[in-house]
Amino acid sequence: MSIEQTVPRAAGKAVPLFSLGRVWTIATSTVTQLVRMKTFYFLLAFALVVVAVGNFNIPATPVKELSMIKKVSFGTMDLFAWLFAIVATALLIPRDIEDRTLYTILSKPVRRIEYLFGKLTGVLVVVGTSLVAMYAICAIMIFARESLYLTAEHDAMTASGQYTGAEIQEQLDLIRQQGLRAELGIAVLASFFKASVVAAVTIFISTFASSSLFTIIVSILLFLIGHAHNMAANFWLDESGNSIFVQMLVKVIKILIPNYQLFSFSEGIVQGEAVVSALVWQMGGLTAGYLVVFLLLSLLVFVDKEF
Amino acid sequence: MKPLLHRVPRLILVILALALFGVVRAPVETRLRDQLVAANLLLPPPGQGAFEQMSQSALMGTLGGLRSLVATFLTLEAYDHFSTKSWDALRQTYQIITSLEPRDESHWVSVIWHIGINATANMELDTKLPQFERDRRFKEYAFQAITLAERGLAQLPESAAIRLQLAEVYREKLKDDCATSRVYGDIIGLPGEPAYARRFHGYFMARCPGREKEAYAYLMALYREGERQHLPTLIKEIQKLEEKLRIPTPQRIPDADPDRPKKAPKPRTNVLPGGIVVP
Repeated sequence: MSIEQTVPRAAGKAVPLFSLGRVWTIATSTVTQLVRMKTFYFLLAFALVVVAVGNFNIPATPVKELSMIKKVSFGTMDLFAWLFAIVATALLIPRDIEDRTLYTILSKPVRRIEYLFGKLTGVLVVVGTSLVAMYAICAIMIFARESLYLTAEHDAMTASGQYTGAEIQEQLDLIRQQGLRAELGIAVLASFFKASVVAAVTIFISTFASSSLFTIIVSILLFLIGHAHNMAANFWLDESGNSIFVQMLVKVIKILIPNYQLFSFSEGIVQGEAVVSALVWQMGGLTAGYLVVFLLLSLLVFVDKEF
Repeated sequence: MKPLLHRVPRLILVILALALFGVVRAPVETRLRDQLVAANLLLPPPGQGAFEQMSQSALMGTLGGLRSLVATFLTLEAYDHFSTKSWDALRQTYQIITSLEPRDESHWVSVIWHIGINATANMELDTKLPQFERDRRFKEYAFQAITLAERGLAQLPESAAIRLQLAEVYREKLKDDCATSRVYGDIIGLPGEPAYARRFHGYFMARCPGREKEAYAYLMALYREGERQHLPTLIKEIQKLEEKLRIPTPQRIPDADPDRPKKAPKPRTNVLPGGIVVP
């Protein structure tokens, strides 16, 4: 019986503390995972909503009809974006545990922050792609209706012979104002900001949640509270006669729960208001702040979690 | 870091971090919110009344950040009320819509049109109701339209469209020439002012008892602007005022009465009485 000689292994290559390459690998695999779940099928439902609203037959002026198409399309887009962000994010970590992919990933030299960041990036890539696709569908519909209305209105006003060139132009400009404008892209960005914050909060909840269902329910509840607390605060304070207890409660809620209502600034843009770029930048900064803080909070829970 | 993580319960650390972030972001968010509201990008909270009247689904939609979407679907519901001539339900629906989107001018214009024009017209025609009730409801709807217009103008003080709709209610339904003239006068100079607002202000002022002299001066000023203002109604109104105010003939406008039939063309010489044509 020969005695086997143990040869010491060569020292492994030092693993960098943080690697964007590893994050990107996890992000792309998350995108693949979500695409395989046939998540993009909801685009069909969205297209149906847009086509349906584009063909509503109610007596309204072209301006009002265009405004209605935009409101319904962008409202639905916003709804799909945040709902998708919650559901997709809530499914990811439990699915990785269930498939045992998580063990394989974490046994490699992958930091837990990289794993969480990669997952979040993957979700955001899918949400972003979906929003761009939805915007394209909606832009086609708005452009088609706008062109139709412009031609019809121009022909009708010219044929009547009662209007001057300036009056016709004024009317056409009014229709164009409610048509396809570059600013609508910022409205899509606003929905993306909102969905990003929602996804970051959901990934934080999923790090300590016992099931996907729990994560989805709690995230939706937080979303509703985060949206309503500003609106409801005045109502509660008024009803309670400015009671100290209600004031304290409102403050606690404001501090602990994200203010999602702030991210609804797409509504103003859709209604034709001018975009203030400084405010959009500030909202982008706030979104980044939320992402960093909730990612770090997720790490705090996830860093030494045993599976 | 690790010893701290082991010593302090994780939940407390998470809550502390959340609270710290909340304290830092709260003033930033308050400032941002004020700026977004000032830029009309964010809607102010709906009125308390709106919450009380909303159905459960509308309330959930509103709380879920879908105010525009809810408002649009309520517009369709209002159209349904219009089809069934349920005017009170229509007004209540629009009350929610305008609370959700107070800065959307088209909602105010629509509700004034529905209540002030359609509902009142329905009361003029609905023979199922006794005459007294129809008259009472006619007035009620007309005054409701005026109240709605006032509420709309409180939200959008520069709106010409709301005033135009209000003027139509005064003009067509209440036959109040003085109020019609006042509303058209308010439109002058506002963005989106139609070209006829100045003329209509004068026309209805001419019909307002006690303001004839003022109306004459105003309409004459319009007349002196040139040929493009020499429209049949303007000429007719000035001529009526000239009669009423006994303006001396040399000072009267030279235009012919637009209502007087023009001279008939001379009969063809080759046609004899009785329509017999001489070749």
